[in-house]
Amino acid sequence: MRYGEKQKAALSFNIEKHIPLLFVLPCFIVLLSVSVFPFLYSLWLSFNKWELGIGQRSPTFAWLSNYARLFSDSRFLGSMENMAEVLVFGVGAQLLIGLGVALLLNRPFRGRSWVTTLFLLPMMICPVVVGCNWKMIYHYTYGPLNHILRLIGIGEGLNWLGSSDLALPSIIIADTWEWMPFMMIVLLAGLQSIPEELYEAAKVDGASRRQVFWYITLPSLKTIIIIAVLIRMMDTFKLFDLVALLTQGGPASASETISFYNYLTGFKFFNMGYAASLAYIQLAVIIIIASLFLRFLRKEEGE
Amino acid sequence: MKGAVLKMFIGIALVGCLILGTSSSFGAEVVTLTVIGDAGHNLKPFEWYAPIFKEEFGVELKVIGVPFGELYEKEKIEFVAQTGAFDICIVYPKYMGDFAGAGYLMNLDEYVGKLGTRMDDVAAGYRDFYCKVGGSLYAVPYDGDVLSLYYRKDLFENADEKAAFKSQFGYDLKAPATWDEYVDVAKFFARKAGDKLAGETRKTPFYGTAFYGQRDQIYAWWGNRFASMGGVYFDEETMKPAVNSKAGVDALENMKAVVPYCPPDVLAYGYEELKDIYLNGDAAMVIQWPCVGKKGGDPNQSKIVGKVGLAPVPGVMKAGKVYSRAMMPCGRVLAIPADTKHPWKAYQVVQWLSVVSSCADVSTALTGLDPYRLSHFETPEAFEMFPTAEDARIYLAGIKANMSNGYPEPPIPGSMEYIDALAVNIIRALEGEKSAQKALDDAAKEWEGITARFGLEKQRKLYQGLVAGWRAAGLWE
Repeated sequence: MRYGEKQKAALSFNIEKHIPLLFVLPCFIVLLSVSVFPFLYSLWLSFNKWELGIGQRSPTFAWLSNYARLFSDSRFLGSMENMAEVLVFGVGAQLLIGLGVALLLNRPFRGRSWVTTLFLLPMMICPVVVGCNWKMIYHYTYGPLNHILRLIGIGEGLNWLGSSDLALPSIIIADTWEWMPFMMIVLLAGLQSIPEELYEAAKVDGASRRQVFWYITLPSLKTIIIIAVLIRMMDTFKLFDLVALLTQGGPASASETISFYNYLTGFKFFNMGYAASLAYIQLAVIIIIASLFLRFLRKEEGE
Repeated sequence: MKGAVLKMFIGIALVGCLILGTSSSFGAEVVTLTVIGDAGHNLKPFEWYAPIFKEEFGVELKVIGVPFGELYEKEKIEFVAQTGAFDICIVYPKYMGDFAGAGYLMNLDEYVGKLGTRMDDVAAGYRDFYCKVGGSLYAVPYDGDVLSLYYRKDLFENADEKAAFKSQFGYDLKAPATWDEYVDVAKFFARKAGDKLAGETRKTPFYGTAFYGQRDQIYAWWGNRFASMGGVYFDEETMKPAVNSKAGVDALENMKAVVPYCPPDVLAYGYEELKDIYLNGDAAMVIQWPCVGKKGGDPNQSKIVGKVGLAPVPGVMKAGKVYSRAMMPCGRVLAIPADTKHPWKAYQVVQWLSVVSSCADVSTALTGLDPYRLSHFETPEAFEMFPTAEDARIYLAGIKANMSNGYPEPPIPGSMEYIDALAVNIIRALEGEKSAQKALDDAAKEWEGITARFGLEKQRKLYQGLVAGWRAAGLWE
């Protein structure tokens, strides 16, 4: 083989070797610009002071001052507390009700697919519409919920959105109504994947319905429950729309979630560095929760 | 064949030229200006007069509507990024200091000489609080907002109710002139379901009053009291917050005193809820914006047509006279960004809307715009939504009286943060979580922090400039 042919062969070999990379390149560039760059940029921003509100044109490095400020910021601490309440009670209620409904729908009956579809409707509605509807439902004077409470003789109704004690629970109820169907459909799929033989064997052994639930159904659903709860927790951590529409975080800051406070900090007060640090704390908490769940999941799979 | 094609081409070209030639804008430079404002009926005038703007000024408009609560951030983001995205902006006056102070808005003084804005016809509050920063004109008025006291004329004139009130409080029932009277009247009219009101049994509770309870505007309902009791936002010399002064605490205590006579969910009340409770006939009186008066005369929106009374917001007795100040929250002005490429064309459009078409735009039920020119108050016949011209006259006289006592929002940079910190603490006091003094001390502490972040000296200079302008216009003591 002549020298030129050798070169040609080497070149064509190299092109062939790198063609897959060329195909991946556009995707890589898009990923870099819309995901990796904003991620790194906002991380860098969280160590800077950049207050557009005061006309500061460019960021100045501020070490850990934004993160230090978090510990003395009562609004941030309050919003984290509210978030914990939403996670525990909101996601908890969604899991319990979703599981209950999934167990009911797992039994064969006429029109089951219709009923299942009806249960899914809240999840399909635009969150803004959900918020507007619940705002009307919760209205103290003209809302249907208080009207029903008055009809059945429960006082004058409840102050759903105007009291610090009930504002957050009201948001949790609306969120549960909207997202319980997600839990239901995931758990229903899980229930339908449990082999029938297990139930038959339990029946032969004379197991009661409670024993079947505790020793067959629930252990078989464990993995799927962990995944569903994890997805809902990550999603709930971003809870913003219902807060903005129902209470605007009020009364005072009684129903302020971390996402809503972050929005105020970034887009109302224009304190970009501090808003970035809030976002990273949010991310850190989600990562910790996710890793705990995944560790538990791995342990379960190992067993 | 070639000849036929050529003839056809020439024919098409001639027809094209003919069409273009008949167009009025042919030969004139037509530019597209981008307008941003809060979406909905208040942008309608930009649509209505589009043919005139094209014909007269060679301007085509691209109108961007954004939700009411998001206008500030949309504008601020574009200003900071210096994108030059907008040519005309609807601005809420409380952000004028923020925007004009940072150099984002064009100074209009130069243009006023070429094409007047008839600012002498604009009520002083709207002119000096809304449009001027440091004595210079940075915007022209578009929507005049001032709070007024609306009450149920029929109930206040009911003989039984009048007698009952007099026996309970020892003076005649009338629209409350002072804040103490306001508490009395609210207390008197609060009724439970099953109680009698003007001879009729109520099926549902009736409330003495209500107020805007959400944290974006609640401070203005406290501010009416605060301002009439002699409160000011800052000490002019030191820029030390003065919201926790005696006036502030007394104002908050008075606000707290009416809470038992309001709907229980009053802290969740925004504009719509406050309007509805009054127009549905479920509250004796509310303090609200001028548009509620217009809606009160419309049978499609109101169950109390012909029963709407309008009075100055209450005040305090000072040297034998009632001294009241009415907050001017919200409002809208038209401003031109400093980086627009077509300042003169943009100015012509805003001048038209603020001068030429303004009376038609504020007197129609198709917009939510409210009167702001002295000439608007002198043309009650234009306000056709009222059942009679007399009703329109009473409405305009009431608005005018409140406007003459107008009190501004804090229009300095950071107003959003100042207002939020104050509102959160006002609500905590109303909920009983803190005492009035503690709540306002906490608010003042937060204000000090905000001022320090924004630069004490810079804020002080700007505030002093604003106050000097207001004082020169006779609007500040």
